[in-house]
Amino acid sequence: MIVTAGWYMGLAAILFAIGALGILIRRNALVMFMCVELMLNAVNLTLISAGRELGTLDGQVSVFFVLVVAAAEVVVGLAILVSVFRNRATASVDELAELSG
Amino acid sequence: MTFEIDYLALAPELVVAGTIIAALLLDLFLTRSKKYWVAVLSVVGVAGGLVPIVYMLAEGGTRSMFDGSYVVDEFALILKIVFLVSGYLVLLMSVSYIEADRYYQGEYYFLLLSSILGSLVMSSSRDLIVLFIGLELTTGPLFLLAGWRKGDAKSNEASLKFFILGVLSTAILLYGMSLLFGLTGSVEFTAIAAAIPDLVSEPALALSVLFLIVGFAFKASAVPFHFWAPDTYEGAPTPVAAYLSVNSKAAGFVAMLIVMYTALPGISEVWAPALWVLAALSMTVGNLSALRQGNIVRLLAYSSIAQAGFMLVPFAAAAVAGSDLAQAFSATVVYLVIYALMNLGAFAVVIAGARRTGSGDIDDWAGLGQKDPVLGLLTALFFLSLAGIPPLAGWYAKFVMFASVIEAGGISTLVLAAIAAVNSVIAFYYYARVIKAVWLDTPSEELLARPGREYAGSIKLTLAISMGLTIAIGIYPTFATYFGEASRVIATGGG
Amino acid sequence: MTVDAWIAEPVNWVFSIVAVVILFTAVRVVTSPNVVHAALYLVAALAGSAVMFLLLSAEFVALVLVLVYIGAVLVLFLFGIMITRAPTGFDEGLSNDRKLVSAAISLVLLGVLSWASLSAFGTDTVNTVGSPTATEILGDAILGRFVIPFEVVSFILLSALIGGITVARRDLTPLEEEERKAV
Repeated sequence: MIVTAGWYMGLAAILFAIGALGILIRRNALVMFMCVELMLNAVNLTLISAGRELGTLDGQVSVFFVLVVAAAEVVVGLAILVSVFRNRATASVDELAELSG
Repeated sequence: MTFEIDYLALAPELVVAGTIIAALLLDLFLTRSKKYWVAVLSVVGVAGGLVPIVYMLAEGGTRSMFDGSYVVDEFALILKIVFLVSGYLVLLMSVSYIEADRYYQGEYYFLLLSSILGSLVMSSSRDLIVLFIGLELTTGPLFLLAGWRKGDAKSNEASLKFFILGVLSTAILLYGMSLLFGLTGSVEFTAIAAAIPDLVSEPALALSVLFLIVGFAFKASAVPFHFWAPDTYEGAPTPVAAYLSVNSKAAGFVAMLIVMYTALPGISEVWAPALWVLAALSMTVGNLSALRQGNIVRLLAYSSIAQAGFMLVPFAAAAVAGSDLAQAFSATVVYLVIYALMNLGAFAVVIAGARRTGSGDIDDWAGLGQKDPVLGLLTALFFLSLAGIPPLAGWYAKFVMFASVIEAGGISTLVLAAIAAVNSVIAFYYYARVIKAVWLDTPSEELLARPGREYAGSIKLTLAISMGLTIAIGIYPTFATYFGEASRVIATGGG
Repeated sequence: MTVDAWIAEPVNWVFSIVAVVILFTAVRVVTSPNVVHAALYLVAALAGSAVMFLLLSAEFVALVLVLVYIGAVLVLFLFGIMITRAPTGFDEGLSNDRKLVSAAISLVLLGVLSWASLSAFGTDTVNTVGSPTATEILGDAILGRFVIPFEVVSFILLSALIGGITVARRDLTPLEEEERKAV
């Protein structure tokens, strides 16, 4: 009796929900971004366990692409944050109220 | 295993990719006053991308590569034309705008071209990985372009908001894709479609479909996932807002339709009601919010949300009623083509008008028609077309939409048609408000005193192209119908 | 299944321990009031995932995760914290006041997602710690069937790089520009 694919998927689902919680409750742009990384990590875990279960490489290939895209997004995100901080020194999205919805 | 690469099928992408590299290199050797040559190169490159597309359309047939994961059929070619032409218009309207405000020019065109390349790849994708990568290249550079006005806190903020919601939507989309892959065992749309019938009772399948819809709806800024759009449009440089409202919205939208249509037709009972709700909400919330806007870019932002709702109507209606999806698909593509032209025209008018009046507030545009009759006429033309008044192209888009809904039949579709009809009337009211301000209100002393500067040739060209096509399609709609008919090819499975 | 049979498998032990570590650190990323701590907990969560990848015989991807994420991305995050001068000490202002609603939403998400996953995949066995996937086959797949996304990804990276530099760098003021020209 070995842990089944469902265990990995379940773990990924919980990880995704934790990341979503972080997005909802945190107001620091950097931490929100870290929570997105947690969610992407959940995606990767799902892809790999599904790929392993199905005996196909497509899961690992997908993870490779997700990792590269996520790395590019980190660069973009930090560049945007730096430009925000140049104009005003705050990390909290609540304080960004120049544009009101 | 080796794969044949059909270089003709890839030619549009290769031309644009070559232009990207050339633009980047050219930028190195130019002094600041000569940077417009990068724009010239980009415009020529994008136009050059159209050449192989026209050739392939004339030749006909479907070209399929990599086990059918990359398909160049008439549907893909039509979409590539839409993305290239609207990208061309956005590049043109950027030239004077970007030059005037001392932004980084070379890098601007580089990023815009990269985004266009992404949308070209996305139109041909018939598997989840290519679709995801194409969509990501379409939206990734836009996070940065939205914050291009670096000194302006509004622009930074627009960019940050757009970015956080963008990556969140990517994560949601990917989770949906990973579940779908796990369940069906494949990333290819045809294989997924084949595996669906055995899985219909699986709750995880319904979940994955909903996650996909949420992810795409964020990118297409459909209600209730639209709240980033007005702020981002307002804070971004105006040509970037135009690009966001046409290309990037269309990319999210088209990606959603491709997936639903080719991979998930077997489970339409899950996504059809969801699309119905998205369409109804987008129309209603978009239009009602547009009524209250005083800033013309925000007004166009909400109007484009509502227009996306209209665009979704034929497809959602046909899916709910269970009637012919191919018919609805071509109606949606016709609407998309016409919307792209008139909305880009409207944004070009906004750029020209903002230059003339020095403001983006509709109140400050009072009497613009007296000051500058040509611009006043163009404002009337594009806004009336958006409202759907004959003989401008917008009426045909609305006509096709309603015709397709009535063909679908059924109570729920008629309700959707009624919502669309009411919304068309509401939309007319706020479009007319802009025209009233321009023509009937008395101009302020300040406006009359402003020096009447000549417009740059590029913005004139943008206005001329979009005006010509808007009038031409309105009078001779067969031209747009061709796009709709060609897009049906996807219905046959693309070979 | 019997408890004894379950305990007898070392894989189950590794899985359970690593899963607990991942969940604990993930929760700490979300709740830690200190931004630097949150980043360090993220390192632990990602490292745990890398172990999971190894359990699932995806050794190439596991190494990429360690090298790219823990090696590069997390360093970027720490740089970001320093550059943006985010408060590094205890800071109560980090969380907002919609905690209850947010917790309810994510609890529902958690319940639905894990139920759906377990019901779909609960009985599917994976032969963990089997023969590792040959990196060669993976490379063939990426440069063969997936060569188009592979090439397109290079444009994503290039645009992120160049756009990122352009947006993040400090512009010269007109005065500084004049000075530079004079030299």
